[in-house]
Amino acid sequence: MRRYGPAVLLLLTGAAILRISLFSELYLRYVQAGLRPYLVVSGFLLVLLAVAAAVVARPEQEPHAEQGRHTEHGEQAGRDQQREHGEHDESGEDSHAHDQHGGHHSPRVAWLLTLPALALLLFPPPALGSYSAEREAEQRAAQGVGAFPALPSGNPLELTLAEFGSRAIYDSGRSLAGRTVRLTGFVTRDGEGTWYVTRLLVACCAADATTSKVEIRGADAPPVDAWVTVTGTWHPKGELGTDGAWPPVLDAVSVRRITQPANPYEKR
Amino acid sequence: MENQRTVVDGLRLGMRALVYAVLGGAALLAVATVASVLGPMLALDLYTPPVAAWWTVFTAIAVQGVPFLLLGTVVSAAVGAFVPEKVFSRLLPRNQALAVPVAGAAGVVLPGCECASVPVAGSLMRRGVAPAAALAFLLSAPAINPVVLVATSVAFPGQPQMVLARLVASLATAVTMGWLWARFGREEWLRPPKRHTGPGASGLRAFTAGLQHDFLHAGGFLVLGAAAAATFNIAVPRSVLDLFTGSPWLSVLLLALLAVVLCVCSEADAFVAASLTGFSPTARLAFMVVGPMVDLKLIALQAGTFGRSFALRFSSVTWVVAVVSSVLVGWWVL
Repeated sequence: MRRYGPAVLLLLTGAAILRISLFSELYLRYVQAGLRPYLVVSGFLLVLLAVAAAVVARPEQEPHAEQGRHTEHGEQAGRDQQREHGEHDESGEDSHAHDQHGGHHSPRVAWLLTLPALALLLFPPPALGSYSAEREAEQRAAQGVGAFPALPSGNPLELTLAEFGSRAIYDSGRSLAGRTVRLTGFVTRDGEGTWYVTRLLVACCAADATTSKVEIRGADAPPVDAWVTVTGTWHPKGELGTDGAWPPVLDAVSVRRITQPANPYEKR
Repeated sequence: MENQRTVVDGLRLGMRALVYAVLGGAALLAVATVASVLGPMLALDLYTPPVAAWWTVFTAIAVQGVPFLLLGTVVSAAVGAFVPEKVFSRLLPRNQALAVPVAGAAGVVLPGCECASVPVAGSLMRRGVAPAAALAFLLSAPAINPVVLVATSVAFPGQPQMVLARLVASLATAVTMGWLWARFGREEWLRPPKRHTGPGASGLRAFTAGLQHDFLHAGGFLVLGAAAAATFNIAVPRSVLDLFTGSPWLSVLLLALLAVVLCVCSEADAFVAASLTGFSPTARLAFMVVGPMVDLKLIALQAGTFGRSFALRFSSVTWVVAVVSSVLVGWWVL
């Protein structure tokens, strides 16, 4: 079985990548949407490599032929046969021991790949939620106060939390005033009983997630981590561009529970 | 006689395959049953929010790294299998002191993040490129390629000097490290990556064999690095940073350390840097210069490719040089 190690590892990794990128949209829990084509191509390439590895590793057709053993996979197969025939051939074992890491065996450290691969195949880890949101520093887009371009029409108007936040804090044109907007995110709360619609922003993968959140007033809080869409109007507070303006506030008209969207993160 | 033997051999092979399939299948079934029965029971106790977040970040870093690692190993295997030995020595200046900046600037052409550059640098060394030049390439490639520079300009709108500062400071660090290696480096620290195939192998065979080995090897270390990064990511809340925003010197060192433990991919680190608004521009520059050159994931990858004694020495010196260079460039440009 040992000789099929590399093939098994490559196949597992490739299958895990394809399962989350090609056969489902689970990859959105871990990386940003733009990475999908690269993931699919990598997955296929890995499966292809696995097949190639299996073909190279298959037992020699003519086990009795001496020549050819020391070229390419012949060396590998020769060594394995010695193992199978027992350990009596001491000198043979020694002469091969030094290339333990140079042959076609998978390096031992490669078996670590089974950890994320099996996790993705059997129990795909969930998207980051309130636990991470509460720990991460809040995303405060680095920008100055100024006039923003006009908002598109729409009533209510769908906005990302990041867009809502930066317009609420930095827009001297006050484009949000008088508009009914709809925001989507999960619920977080703080110690004083205020609750927020929160979304994590991911630029590349979940390791770089940052938080953006909007305080909701005028509606009872759903349970933490529940996904909601909140419709309402902007509640101006504090002076533009100062800490007093954080976090932005929405006066809620309606709060609706939804299922978690396919992409749990906002693209930065 | 001959025919009989082939038939017997074929039968034996078939039997063996059957036995493997039955045994393997039974084992898989058993594992799946136990996992699906015990899994939910254990999950209730062990799957607390921090553990779940750890798994998510861990798999995210691994998943995100796979395409880039594969790109890097494809390039490195192609270099190993198809590029003749002589090409690089002809392209690069004979003089090492000159070859280093040329190789550093050549980093522009590899549009990937840091996972890709380690195997490529390894294959360059195997192909007779002076280690000093290959190391300059290793450091500069993930930091100064167009994808990363564009991401930086998107993350810092209206601040083109940040892009310039990043380019200059990263290139300066890479070239300095190349020269330092040419002057003080010792061959015995470097365990040069061995060839994976027999002497007779060439062309497509060597390419597949090299690709398999490089990917599996580097992949293992990527997982190791991802585990370390996820642990720090979960164990150190980023809000701790707010305590240190006061002192400009401390904040540079702190963000330079943060870059090491967070292991944010070089194409995304500009966004993270931009979100660290409490810090001075120089501290954020240090975060972006150190990140692609020294982080846990990279140290693990380098230890796997070039040996542990090399990775530790090289990474610590690189860290110091990168911090000094970003402070100087930051003071000059920002």
